[in-house]
Amino acid sequence: MKNRLNFLVVGLLWIANSVYAQSTEGMVTYEHKSYWTKINARLTFLSKEEKDRMKLTWGNEDGYGVKMKLYFDEKQSLYTYFSDQGQSEDGQWSWRQDDYLVHRNFDANKLIEHHEMLGKTYLMEDSLVTYNWRVQNQIKDVAGYICMKAETFDPVKNQKITAWFAQDIPVAAGPERYFGLPGLILELDINDGDVVVSAQKVELKNVQKELALPKMKGKKIKVADYNQMIQKHIAESMKAQRNPFWSMRY
Amino acid sequence: MKKLLLGALMCLSALFACAQAPTRFQIQGITADTSSGPLGSATVMLLQRKDSSLVNFTRSNDKGVFVLRNVKKGDYLLKISFVGYIPFQKDIVFGDKELIDLGTLEMKAITKELFEVVVKTARAPLSIKGDTIEYNAASFKVPPGSTVEDLLRKLPGVQIDQDGNIVAQGQQVRKVTVDGKRFFGDDPKMATKNLPAEAITKVQIFNDKSEQAKVTGVDDGKKEKTVNLELKDGFKKGGFGKVTAGLGADGNNSRGARGEIKGNYNKFDDKNQFSLIGLTNNTNQTGMSWDDYQDFRGSGSFNSWNDNGDFGFGGGGGRFFMIGGEDDGGLNIPVGGGRGQGYSNNVAAGINYNYNGKKTKVNSSYYYNSTRQVLDALRSRENFLTNGSFKSQEESSQINFIGNHRLSFRYEQMIDSTNTIIFTNNSRLNGGNTSLNSLQQYFQAGNFKSNETTIKNATDVDKMETSNTLIYRWKAKSKKGRNFAASGSYGYVQNDGIADQNSLNLFYSATSANDVIRRALDLTNNTNSQVNELKSSLLFVEPVSKRVFWETFLNLSRRGNFVDRDAFDLAQESGRRIPVDTLSSYFKNDITYARIGSSLRYTYKGFNISGGLAVQRFGLDGKFALGQNPSSFINVNRTFVAWLPNASLNYDLKNNRYLWSGYDVSVNQPNVRDLQPVIDNSNPLYIRQGNPDLLPSVNHSLNFGYNMFNPASFTNLGLNLFYSYNVNQIIYNQQVDPRTLVTVTTPTNISGGQSVGAWMNFGFPLKKTKSNLSVNANPNFSRNLTYINGVLNQTNNDSYRFGMRLDLTPSDNFTFFANANWGVTNSRFSVNTSQNMKIINHTYGGTMNIKLPKDFFINSNLDYRIYVNNRFNLDQRLPIMNASIYKILGKAKKAEIRLSVYDVFNKNLGISQFANQNFVSQEKVQTLARYGMLTFTYNMRGMNTTLKRRGGFF
Repeated sequence: MKNRLNFLVVGLLWIANSVYAQSTEGMVTYEHKSYWTKINARLTFLSKEEKDRMKLTWGNEDGYGVKMKLYFDEKQSLYTYFSDQGQSEDGQWSWRQDDYLVHRNFDANKLIEHHEMLGKTYLMEDSLVTYNWRVQNQIKDVAGYICMKAETFDPVKNQKITAWFAQDIPVAAGPERYFGLPGLILELDINDGDVVVSAQKVELKNVQKELALPKMKGKKIKVADYNQMIQKHIAESMKAQRNPFWSMRY
Repeated sequence: MKKLLLGALMCLSALFACAQAPTRFQIQGITADTSSGPLGSATVMLLQRKDSSLVNFTRSNDKGVFVLRNVKKGDYLLKISFVGYIPFQKDIVFGDKELIDLGTLEMKAITKELFEVVVKTARAPLSIKGDTIEYNAASFKVPPGSTVEDLLRKLPGVQIDQDGNIVAQGQQVRKVTVDGKRFFGDDPKMATKNLPAEAITKVQIFNDKSEQAKVTGVDDGKKEKTVNLELKDGFKKGGFGKVTAGLGADGNNSRGARGEIKGNYNKFDDKNQFSLIGLTNNTNQTGMSWDDYQDFRGSGSFNSWNDNGDFGFGGGGGRFFMIGGEDDGGLNIPVGGGRGQGYSNNVAAGINYNYNGKKTKVNSSYYYNSTRQVLDALRSRENFLTNGSFKSQEESSQINFIGNHRLSFRYEQMIDSTNTIIFTNNSRLNGGNTSLNSLQQYFQAGNFKSNETTIKNATDVDKMETSNTLIYRWKAKSKKGRNFAASGSYGYVQNDGIADQNSLNLFYSATSANDVIRRALDLTNNTNSQVNELKSSLLFVEPVSKRVFWETFLNLSRRGNFVDRDAFDLAQESGRRIPVDTLSSYFKNDITYARIGSSLRYTYKGFNISGGLAVQRFGLDGKFALGQNPSSFINVNRTFVAWLPNASLNYDLKNNRYLWSGYDVSVNQPNVRDLQPVIDNSNPLYIRQGNPDLLPSVNHSLNFGYNMFNPASFTNLGLNLFYSYNVNQIIYNQQVDPRTLVTVTTPTNISGGQSVGAWMNFGFPLKKTKSNLSVNANPNFSRNLTYINGVLNQTNNDSYRFGMRLDLTPSDNFTFFANANWGVTNSRFSVNTSQNMKIINHTYGGTMNIKLPKDFFINSNLDYRIYVNNRFNLDQRLPIMNASIYKILGKAKKAEIRLSVYDVFNKNLGISQFANQNFVSQEKVQTLARYGMLTFTYNMRGMNTTLKRRGGFF
């Protein structure tokens, strides 16, 4: 009986695979968690004492989570907030979310990003920026998928990026601004756990409608200018002893 | 023709190049598992060998065949991965042929056990380093208190025999290292039997070179099975501490030496926080700083934000009775506070423990503090009556002592995902005494001394108070936003006091200096008072739609007050206690309170608006009597009903802009002392009388605010407007006897007092990161009503405040911060316009930090206050300057030696001047002024060496 069931499942999978390349299209729900005591520990102007104090006081309340979603197929991906508003756990309080949308078109080598940061809204259109991924010999399970580890470094924000990509979803897409691995990125770790974006659910389904770009407004900007602006902001804020990360995405 | 030639040349050169060596290669192969079956859809990656950078990737087809085309020559590693298999790696060797065929590449399956248990069930990452497989031990659940041995037993591929020997992957483990280092000798069991499993984050099992090979450097080929345990970060940090000790001399002779000692120690790991704090000084520092407080309380510092069991709208303690909170911090540990007047000796010590589990959180602390304060003061005052004025002078010496024991306990338990309970207890036990010796003299027009009073008072108070709250919260699983909460709390205060009042009053009547009336008082009062309070609240929230919530709440409370005051006269019969019925009283009242209300809230995308209405009822049932064994009582039975509307708006706009507004009505019950129909004559010339007819005061307040911040330009703007109107405000009527100059005050209700004001702030950089300027303005207009000798007087205060702040931070070695505040208040009085006055209040401040070579630092700050009142010719200028020079010692910068001088100009002479419509006063308290001190600090975490800007949250 069990054997027959196994056979059936395998058979179904095979049919699914052959009839339609389902594993290359779908939606991922991520939880984007920020660990502020860790992020704040990066502030160069704070002493060890102040960092420890912060960690002891707030450390175990840490890990503020926001749900995000990624639509993907082989050619493109769209990443944004899961919900159109920020909400308290009981739903009785809501807030605006800073505009944030990342669109990648792998075929056309084109990126479109919508960022509200530093008190302004920007619309970035440029060609794709590739990352130098270093593939590691580590595997783990994320949301039911076996993922392999890859690392890269973001010199703009000075961040160590760790990505876990699914071996059996052969799509180059990923959350936040990261992509370009042989499989879909299901977990992203920025700076050893300062921010962790982890897949909660992967649904393989048709998402052609959702992949369409919404109307977006903002000041036009190129990647190079954006990078320069971020770097300047971080450097200036550190110098002015202000936290640069409240007003930009970490 | 030219083109043709060029083309031919190009063709030729291309051919030539090809013939020599190919520049582009094609790598191909077949992925298969060890039983030679092809593995289709395997991920094939071409990596740079030096750093594993991804160069190219592809997938094998159904038959396991893969091809990587157009590969430039390089130093590559081919890596193939497939779910359930150990990633395969192979170096690529380039030859002179364009095609590199790797043939069939066999992949080893990961042991099923490892795969199922570690990867799938424990969800731990697997690391493969050649033959080492490493995984996260934290993912394996073992009961608390387990040793590493218990943990290893759970890991796949590891066996532990009866003697505790470890066998991993079939081989006996010869060596156990912790963080790569040997753990106490050679016995591998030492580590596994002694280390707690909770301390371990990673377990690595691998073949290490033999010890001999390591020493000689010659690989003898022998491998030893080794287990390496990696410790968690939290366990690496044992704890930290800080100690400061200082000794100095007072700049005002004969005041003796100054000293202070302060220390704290913390020990913590992921779940537990333990800390100690202690301090003692005679430099007027009564408590710890906010930083010390945070170090002491750790995760318990600010977690009481949702411990308020009084549900429903409205702000503050207005709608509910507060127990404690009256003086010196009440039930809470006193934090911060400036250096008080006089001279004080302070001692404090505390112990704190926090447990932060996933579902259970415990915060507990014990804190003791005591202060002995000496106040020697000279006071003078001129009182203005409708016709004429009189002056008073006082010379007093007072010693106050108070010692407090405070306990606090908080327990939070998440029962499951829908139910949570929180229990808090805050208690205080304190004892204090005061002794006061004072000589008061009163002069009428023409400097004629009319009265003289010699006072010798002593009090002794023991107090116990406790407040306990239990909150239960439930949230529905089925419907987001539906929730329920219930709370119950019990508060108790017990106060026993003895007050001895000894005074001699001499009334020099106007007719003849010899005709002096002597009135000697020698009283002792025993006062026993108790407060019992029971409170309960319910809250229910129902989502009407996704954006609309309906909230209903109920608050109930019953508070019992009991005061028994027995006064005895000792003067009448030379020391015998004769009861004085006119000054003795008995008082008992019960206040019941009920409020029920409902509100609707709409919330969407940062637009939050709510409106509601509540009705509340106060019931007062009181019994008062004068005398020690009263037979008849005055009964006071009152009920008040009030309707309380409430509205609020919060709007979260784009690009860091916020808008808010609110309307709130609060009702304040008169305090017990004001309701008591008894006379307090502890100062025979200033008598306080209660009023049982007082009504609760009602305050209507309206506010509006806007705030914006531009993080790119560091510019910020804030605007706040507020208005409040008082109904039945409780004020104190003053009745002055023109002959005896005895003032009697009585509380009474009055409506019509109001105030309106604004606060505006604008900050911007003059030069980004180097200098910053912020300006603020704060106009405020208020109208207050009082009765003076039976005549209603209206006081209008128009005040204008303007401030500026300049931050100069030109380099890492120099910072300067300056601030200036200018304030002018115009007071206008309706009864006697000739008394209208203008008060000027300016403050200037500056702080300078300099970093010198060799870890020397200089810090100084100046605070200059100016107070001018032209009508009374008051002109007070107080420059207080502190300066210190310090050096950070040692390579690790853990110690500091500092020489400081406080109040360089020796101006902190405790002078304060004050003027009101009907009096002007001056006070001079002998206060700690200039002193120098040498302090040494040792901080285990290292001293802070950056020149700090103004503090705050980051």
